[in-house]
Amino acid sequence: MKEKIIRKPQLGTWLEGLRKEYEIWAPVKKNGLVLFHPIESAKEIHFDFSNTKKTAKDLFFPQSEVLFSFRGGEIEKEADMVLEKPRIILAIRPCDAKSLALLDKVFDSEDYQDPYYVERRKGTLLLGMACTHPQTSCFCTSMRSGPFEKTSLDLLMVDLGDDKYLVEAVTQAGKDLMGKDGSFEDVQEKDRERLAKVKKQAEEKIKSKVVIEGLEEKLDKIFDSPFWDRVHQRCLGCAICTYLCSTCHCFALLDEGVNSREQRVRSWDSCMFPDFTLEASGHNPRISNRERMRQRVMHKFNYFVKNFGETACVGCGRCIQNCPVNIDIREIIEEIENEQPLPS
Amino acid sequence: MPENEKQLREVAEKLLIDKKVDLIIGYEKGTLPLRTRPTFIREPEETKRLVWNSRCENNLSLYLKTVKEKVGIVAKGCDSRSIVGLIKESQVKREDIFIIGVPCPGIIDRKKIEDVLDGRELLEGVESDSQILLKAEGFEETLDQDKLLHASCRSCRHRNPVLSDTLVGKEISQPQTDEYSDVEGFASQQDNERWAYFNDETSRCIRCYACRNVCPACYCPQCFVDQSLPTWFDRTPHLSDTLIFHIIRTLHTAGRCVDCGACSRVCPMNVELRMLNKKTEKDVKELYGYEAGKDLEELPPMATFKIDDPQEFIK
Amino acid sequence: MNNLYRPKPVTVRKIIIENEAKDIKTFELVFLNQEDREKFNFTCGQFAMLSVLGAGEIPIGIASSPLDDEYLQFTVKRYPTGVVTTALHSLEEGSRIGVRGPYGNFYPLETMEDKSILIVGGGFAVTTLRSTIRYLLHEKNRSRFKDITVLYGARSPGELIYKSELKQWEERDDITMYITVDKGDENWKGRVGLIPNVLKEVAPSSENGIVLVCGPPIMLKYTMLPLLDLGFTPERIVTSLERRMSCGIGKCGRCNIASKYVCKDGPVFTYRELRELPEGAP
Repeated sequence: MKEKIIRKPQLGTWLEGLRKEYEIWAPVKKNGLVLFHPIESAKEIHFDFSNTKKTAKDLFFPQSEVLFSFRGGEIEKEADMVLEKPRIILAIRPCDAKSLALLDKVFDSEDYQDPYYVERRKGTLLLGMACTHPQTSCFCTSMRSGPFEKTSLDLLMVDLGDDKYLVEAVTQAGKDLMGKDGSFEDVQEKDRERLAKVKKQAEEKIKSKVVIEGLEEKLDKIFDSPFWDRVHQRCLGCAICTYLCSTCHCFALLDEGVNSREQRVRSWDSCMFPDFTLEASGHNPRISNRERMRQRVMHKFNYFVKNFGETACVGCGRCIQNCPVNIDIREIIEEIENEQPLPS
Repeated sequence: MPENEKQLREVAEKLLIDKKVDLIIGYEKGTLPLRTRPTFIREPEETKRLVWNSRCENNLSLYLKTVKEKVGIVAKGCDSRSIVGLIKESQVKREDIFIIGVPCPGIIDRKKIEDVLDGRELLEGVESDSQILLKAEGFEETLDQDKLLHASCRSCRHRNPVLSDTLVGKEISQPQTDEYSDVEGFASQQDNERWAYFNDETSRCIRCYACRNVCPACYCPQCFVDQSLPTWFDRTPHLSDTLIFHIIRTLHTAGRCVDCGACSRVCPMNVELRMLNKKTEKDVKELYGYEAGKDLEELPPMATFKIDDPQEFIK
Repeated sequence: MNNLYRPKPVTVRKIIIENEAKDIKTFELVFLNQEDREKFNFTCGQFAMLSVLGAGEIPIGIASSPLDDEYLQFTVKRYPTGVVTTALHSLEEGSRIGVRGPYGNFYPLETMEDKSILIVGGGFAVTTLRSTIRYLLHEKNRSRFKDITVLYGARSPGELIYKSELKQWEERDDITMYITVDKGDENWKGRVGLIPNVLKEVAPSSENGIVLVCGPPIMLKYTMLPLLDLGFTPERIVTSLERRMSCGIGKCGRCNIASKYVCKDGPVFTYRELRELPEGAP
């Protein structure tokens, strides 16, 4: 484990050096939103944020991706799957980094690898920023993650206050990045003390606790329960929770026309849309919002667990913060725990 | 407002006990500071969940489209106008609903609170009389609710419900508002400036369709967005296609939109297209002398034809 | 890297109109590239994604037998709201389209070898069953299997598909055919009756039996109970399901029935598997 200190004023120098080789994406604030943007200088970076509005999945699984273009019924050009320049994502939160580990199970599995996703993952380094100020809607610690979690990261940075970041290399690639610059100092004992304090404070701040043990089994038992009639009532059936969720990954393959060039595109889709499972015959296996909300909850907390061994949720809380009618997944999970299964 | 809240609960409870309605749709406390959310109550004792305050932002009339029971619905001024619209368009039967009208001096805009907090998380909010105390880490400030009102509320001309079966609290005064001042200000800009504004706003849209789904006036069983034969525009959020979506939705709701502000409140990407809707509202008023949702008898201009309809635009 | 979303080019060699209403057509496809043909090794029950560039892609069961070497056949019904089915039906012979696959699991041919086989098909859902029958009856295979009984029904005589083949099979003595229609017409001399009812009359013994049953959701619903009554065990009732699909390979999250993806863990399921899935049983 290699740890170093970098002072905030030196950050710019380090990043400037990295920019020669890498395209750097960092949180930038614009129109009241903090989103990942490619940056030219450290001055553009907005560090004072809890989490970006949209998730890190956008950078690996974009909302719209051209697969190939065609003309006259023939495929003309397949999309370039190689990144022009390797990338660094700076200040990605541990929950978003963990979400990539979950998406890897889908897009980079033994049986099929999605070439677009895989190339981007291979060509991108993740420099995480620990959450020293988690939000009240964060429940990452209940979802096998945490404000200082290192899954999928190459480096983890911690704001120690006092104008310093502690930077810890998690992978060899991360270590190499640090080795490229003289801006780093050694870690002092007081830095370690500060680190321990800041970490403890952050973990204590996460008061929201959600129990996922036994959730999968409980969901098996209440599939047909009237519970679902209650849960979905306010839901608008929009795509906010799915599009802003770090782990949602449903997509559609569609043929689109752009300026007379036609393309086959992979686009985000949402299981909450009414026509998601609508068949040409008119038959729709998930005919109402009730079935669709049930599908969403079951998929994240039951089906994904059965297929991949983990819950498809990292506790980032974006769905809670952004739902127009304040549907709160933590509440739903608690209600599930308390719901009596129907007599079989 | 607290006395109104008490009265609201009593009214709702009585309606359920007397079986005048099977369901009450109102607001309850949410799970985030200062949030409220729609609630569906079927048991009299649950009516104590109902709240009424300056944060009751959702337009509940949206749920009338799908509910099949006899409903008691809490309605602010703008909500009541949406209900009038739904009745006129035969989406809801007057006799199936009991409108619990609540005079409303304006609802707070959560995004304005976010601006005040400048990135800090709101930890607690306390409402009192006409002020709101905001608490965040290392931050505490009391603001007048007036300063935090949503733009739709600032230009509101119907604080009192236009249609109701009972009123909670007394009617409140209706100050004269120059409701189109921001539209006129915007319209006076150069067209390339205005075009740049709309492009910039639209570029953020992620096509989640929350704006459409939260709108009481949008109830088409198959929206043009979801048609595949023909496909009106692609799923990819190209700027041109996204603009088309918003422009067409504005046209479809022209003369029917009551400016409740729900669409702009729910947008997760802070896309502000209210200007378009407000402009169409102004045009309809000037061309046809019509305001949406005011009068049950008045025929909607987009659905009727009169010999003396203005036609100067036909050159 | 191998792009798993890219369809392989095929030419539409022949188009056969299958029914009276002319909205069900069989498309006979030939790969443009020999190596694509060689890589496309499929078995009965599997499907492929048919791609019409500019319209889209849809999952269609493979109707030809794996031993029909030179070509692939797909039978597609046109739906008025279907973008791709409409585009397919407006194609002419010689057109170029794309195929991705084969995908999905398959009928349990090995298990079927020492069993009494019953095949029940309704409407035009009989496509992969037809692939299976062709395969079973092939001279290379027939001796491996025991008795085969087929019950095939459609709404009306005009809706029966694969008519020439049905006739050929009726004339064979190594397969027993029962054809029925829900409603006859002036020329129909054959059986009239709904599949669940006819089933009760003509089904062979379920002892050591296995049944492959395909049809629209409503037919499946009303045929399961008679099959169980006849004594077929849930593990020996095998069906093939349909769902709207996008990727066909278990990635896009659309076609799942509970934790199973119809494109990857199906489309072939036993009744027993479906019963154990919530939202599963037809």
